[in-house]
Order: sequence, then structure tokens, then C-alpha cells
Amino acid sequence: MEKKHAFCPFQELKWKETRQLVTKAMEEIESQKRTKPNLVWLELNGCTGNTISMLDGQDPDFQYLMTQMTNFIYSNSLIASQGDQAMDQLFDIIGDEYILAVEGAVSRKDNGLYHIIGRHEGREITGLEAAMRLGERAAHIISVGDCASYGGVSAARPNPSDCTGISDVVNRKVIKLTGCPCHPDWLMGTIAYLILYGEPPLDEVDRPLMFYGITIHDRCPRRSYYDSGIFATKLGEETCMYMLGCRGPVTQTDCPIRKWNGHVNWPIGDDTPCIGCAQFGFPDAMEPFITYDTMRKE
Amino acid sequence: MADTIIINPVTRINGFMEIAAEVGNNVITDVRTKGLMFRGFEKMLTGRAPLDAVYFTQRICGICSTAHSMASALALEDALGIVPSEQGRYLRDLLHACEFLQNHLRHLYQYTLPDYVKLPEGYPLFKTDHNDYRLPESVNERMVNDYFESMEYSRNAHKMLAILGGKAPHNHGVFIGGITSPVTADMIIAIKSILFGIEKFITEKMLPDVYEIAAYYSEYYHFGGGYGNLLTYGCFQHYKELGTLYVDPYIYSNEQYSHFNPDLITQSDEYAWFNEANEPDREKPEAYSWIRAPRYNGVPFEGGPLARQWLSGEYRHGISVMDRTIARVLEAKKITQIMNTLLENLIPGVPMQQEYVIPAQANGKGLIDTTRGALGHWLTIEDEKILFYQVITPSAWNLSTQTGEKKGTAEQALMGAPVKDETMPVEIGRIIRSFDPCVSCATHVIIPGKTNRIIPVV
Repeated sequence: MEKKHAFCPFQELKWKETRQLVTKAMEEIESQKRTKPNLVWLELNGCTGNTISMLDGQDPDFQYLMTQMTNFIYSNSLIASQGDQAMDQLFDIIGDEYILAVEGAVSRKDNGLYHIIGRHEGREITGLEAAMRLGERAAHIISVGDCASYGGVSAARPNPSDCTGISDVVNRKVIKLTGCPCHPDWLMGTIAYLILYGEPPLDEVDRPLMFYGITIHDRCPRRSYYDSGIFATKLGEETCMYMLGCRGPVTQTDCPIRKWNGHVNWPIGDDTPCIGCAQFGFPDAMEPFITYDTMRKE
Repeated sequence: MADTIIINPVTRINGFMEIAAEVGNNVITDVRTKGLMFRGFEKMLTGRAPLDAVYFTQRICGICSTAHSMASALALEDALGIVPSEQGRYLRDLLHACEFLQNHLRHLYQYTLPDYVKLPEGYPLFKTDHNDYRLPESVNERMVNDYFESMEYSRNAHKMLAILGGKAPHNHGVFIGGITSPVTADMIIAIKSILFGIEKFITEKMLPDVYEIAAYYSEYYHFGGGYGNLLTYGCFQHYKELGTLYVDPYIYSNEQYSHFNPDLITQSDEYAWFNEANEPDREKPEAYSWIRAPRYNGVPFEGGPLARQWLSGEYRHGISVMDRTIARVLEAKKITQIMNTLLENLIPGVPMQQEYVIPAQANGKGLIDTTRGALGHWLTIEDEKILFYQVITPSAWNLSTQTGEKKGTAEQALMGAPVKDETMPVEIGRIIRSFDPCVSCATHVIIPGKTNRIIPVV
């Protein structure tokens, strides 16, 4: 599959980056240069789509992540135990070193009561409290998806449960993996980078440059249609989606070369506009997602 | 003397939930299921562009996002007066079918199996909190392998979905008129070949696995049934040439079958955290959950694979924890057969899209059965914007709060169930997971609007 995109060495490097990083990290863990880091997956108020996207990951897949790359401590979707024992396992990690991966938004309304993650030592624990307690003590925090990064859809106007990203409630750097959902390669590659080198180079909004550095428009396979002024007038056409409201020109991800779900397709490949799901402000700032009258209005 | 058992979080479900049960003489004598998250999608949708609902409402749920795109597209088609072509319907239903497979595979292996199968030691995620494991070592070991092997096939189900829908979760393909992109021969054969592998796994691994579990835990055929009221809105049905491939809208109650009538749906919020003005109110004294109480003809109903298998006549062994779990796997097999039929009937290269004009004023409803049961979207358009949007999800039916003294569906399934050891109430988790709960889906608010309520609120 690399060959298809091998016309530019830079692009080829980007596409391979996740796999290379993971391989290197694994070699070092196996040769005992490094120990497996603890990984805590804290789900806050959202849709679990980033857990599902993680399970959709391939090379590495979830089995490799949990058995070889990391010491996977907690995920409410996947942990075998429930209730008290599960909550003990989550909070007992405090004091050890761990990477905190957060999915979903922090609900602040009524002091967090709009989202309860469990009961610990006889008390209801809000997502807000869990985010603050686990966030302050983590070695690194990764926000996986839009909701954890800045509120995302959970904070869409009028934001009924006063949602925001975890960086608003912890006083420290958060590595932000935007996207609705986050691509599994962006997650796995970032964890691998943390294991190998620590914090990856980030853009001005704290997203890893290796995944979020270049706009979709810059590398869009339909760019020649744009340059020639050939625009689709409805969905399902093979030309440029710009006049239907495509957010490719402002959205910085590697979707055009990485694609999704085993690299088989992506939204523009499906003859629909990019809706800017990895840009801050999505969804409110990216609407309307689909419009037929851009041309008439402009 | 009754003891109170509280499980919070109920793990290996979608979303956040507490179960508080009173147990006396090793039997559950009272119980409440509580949905513990709220975001308020219907409020967010007010004022947005109607077409955006298809992509926006998918974000209600990460494991069943396609379901919401389906109901939303159907509601918009109803409002806009658009009738999709048969090719459009085949393709959209194929995309939906991929989600059934993804969901059922993950639910059996990642969410249900750890209740019955001892996962390997040495991994914190697999540490157990009970000791009721009955499988012989060799069988247990085989199922652990299948736990991991299944991940390839659930991932592949999403790969098929992405071929037709761009990506998953949160696809771009499902839309008014069918799907966005015309299908090509290479896409059809790619899906066929991936489906071939999934079907083989279901036949050779998943079906034997679930029946083996059932054999060692056979008392689970005898409780967890609840009211025995079953409902489906229908799915994979009423094709012009192919007829119904799965199930038409039906009701089963008091051992009687009847046709489903959408006008008999009501919803109550007596015990949900909403005040008289329909605003969220976490201080409401009698309330205990964010999940409201949908009722059909005033009565709680169960939806999902068992309801569909029962109402289509495919499986009528019984209504219990184990029957629900087996029906889900039988349905996975059925879905692969439906997909093969639809794939055989595809014509490559048929466009489905046009430029849609949003009416100044319109109402629409989209009712469809999806992985967990009956899903409905209702909307009102005014001034070319969404004025009103309402979602009633399968898990709202299954996990509803009580009305008066009458328990919700899953609550009733828990009532009277045995709890052998109160320090390890493994039965409670097994019963509730047989419903495949999705709390992220279930918690919603109805917006009070100047428009007519499409659904009368009790």
C-alpha cells in the first residue's frame, strides 16, 4: 500500500511513522532498555467512539497495545471487574507513574453531577473530580478525540452540561489528538513516541506535528479539480467538494494519505465533504456540514 | 433483612450506569437502574441545518453511530418527501448491517465473555472480581483465543462499513436517498471477501462458543426474562422485489402478536432528572436516572436481537439472560445472510444523490430497528432550520426508569433473580449485559417547543 503514495519521500515517511515508532519502542521494551508504561484510559462524557476507534486499530492493534506496549490499567468499556474493584484499580494507580489517555468531555454543570464515572469509597465520583485527581498526577496526558481536547460535540451550543476539554481543569500540558473520532494510528503513534522520546513536537494547539502538520487540502487527491475549477454540485460526484462546504482547506490531518479503517477509504473518498472534525471549534464552527448553495451565495 | 448492593460503574457496557439492588434471602427484591450521564443532544440540534442531523446525531453514540445516521436520514426523507431508490436502500442497509456485525462481535467477546470466561492473569484489565468460572481449562483457553481473534473480525466489519461509508465510527455514507457514493464492482467483491471471513468466524467460533457457555451456565435460561413484552420497528424489510429479509414491525405482549402502531408510543419522566419545564434537574427528589421511560400502550417493552428473532419467528426458545445472548449471535449469522442477498442484488455505478431543497416547514419521523432494538428520530423543520428534534433509543426502552410502581424493562428482568453470594453479585452484571446497554444513547431531553409534540408526553 505504501507504493501507491511513494511519489514523495516525505509523504511516505509520514505514512510509515506510526509503525516505525511502535517497532522501535517494542524493540527497546523487549531488550529491557525500557519497561512497559502504565496506561490509564479515563472515559468522560462522550460517546465511547474513541474506544471503538482504538479497537479498530491495526499494526499495532489493541491486543498488541495492551499485552506488549503498555500495562493497560483501566478502561470502563473493557475491564473485567466492575463496581468497587474496578474503581479501586483506577485510583490505586495514583502514586505510580502512568500515562493518562482521556476520552470524552469534562461536564462542569452542577459541580460535575451530569456525569458520574463510578462510586469510590462510598462516594459518587464525577468525571470532573476524576479528571482533576488523575490528571494532576499523570506523567503525560493525552486527550483522545475532540470532546477530551476542547469539549467537541459534547460542548456544542448551547452546551447543556457545560462541557469542556480536560486541559481546562488541569493545570498542565495536554497532548491533544483531535478528530471525531481520533484515528487509531494517531493514538498508537503518540503513545509510541512518548515511550521512546517523551513529548512529541506539537503545533501551536498542542497536537503532534507528525499527524496534524499539513492541511487536507494540501494533499487532497482531488486538488487538481480544485485548481481547474471543477466542482461537485451534489454528493456522490468524483470532483472537488469545496463548493459543498468542504473543510479540507482548514483541517490539518493526514487523512488523505493515511485514510481510515485499514486505510480503505476516507470521507472525501466517499464523495462527501470533509466536515472539519479534527479542527478546534467542530461542530459549531464547521457548520453547515453540507450546503448546496455556497456557489450562489458567494 | 434486605441488603443493598450497589454496582457503579457497571463496566463493559457503553456509557455509565449504576445498579442499586435490595437483596433478601439471596433474591433481588427491589432494584433501580440508573443512567449517569447527560449531554442534551436534542437541545443542541435546535437551530441547526436539517441535513447536518445525519452526521451530528451519530455523535450520540460511538458503538452504534450508524444507527443514528439511519434514523436521521429516514426522518429527513419523510420531512422532505424523498423516496430512496431500491439500490439506495440496499446499499444503506448493507452499511447498517456492517454495524450489526461490529457490535454483536464486540458485545459477545469483549463485553459478555469476561463474565463467564477467565481471562489470562498478569494483565490488570483482566483481573476478576468473582470466582464463578465453570468452563474446563481447554474450553476456557479456546475462548480466550477467540476473545482476541474476534477483534480482527469486528475491526473488519468496520472496514466493510468504511468501504461504503468513508470511515467508522461516524460514517459519511448514509444519507438521504441511500448512500453518497455509487458502488463499484471492486467494492462489492472487497466486501464479499471480508464478509466471507466474518461469516466463517461466526459459524465456526462464535456460535459454538455461545452454546458452550450456555451449557455450563444453563440456569441462566431460567431467569432475567422480565415482562416478556417484545417490540420491533422492523429492519431489512419491505423491499419492492426482495420482500422482507428480516422482520416487519410487530409487538408481542401477553403471548399475543399484533402489528406495531407508532401512535401508541408515549414517554414519561416521572423518575428521571427532568423538571416540569423539561429542563434537566439533578435535584428532583424522586428522580434517580437520566433515562426517561418510553412506553407502548402504557407498558414497558424490550427491544433487541431476541425481540427480532422472536417476532420474525427465527428463535422462540424462551425469554431469559441466555436466550438474549444466544439470539444476538444467531442474529449475527442472519445478518451475514441478509448481506449476501443484498450484495447479489447490487447494480454498480447507480448514482443516488441530488440537490435537496429544505422546506420552510415540515415534520418527519424515522423509525428503524437497529443493533440494540427500536430507534426513533422525530424532527420538525421551521424556517429551514431544525426547530425540534427528539430521539428515543433502544436503550431508553430497555433501561427505562419506573412509572408509578411499574419497573422499567431491565429492572423487571432483575427482579426476583438469584444472587448467590452478595459479596460477588456476578448475576446482576450478567443479566444487565444481556441487554447490551448503551447509556450514551439513552439519556435525552425533549425540548419544549412552540410546535406540536410529535409524541404526546405522559
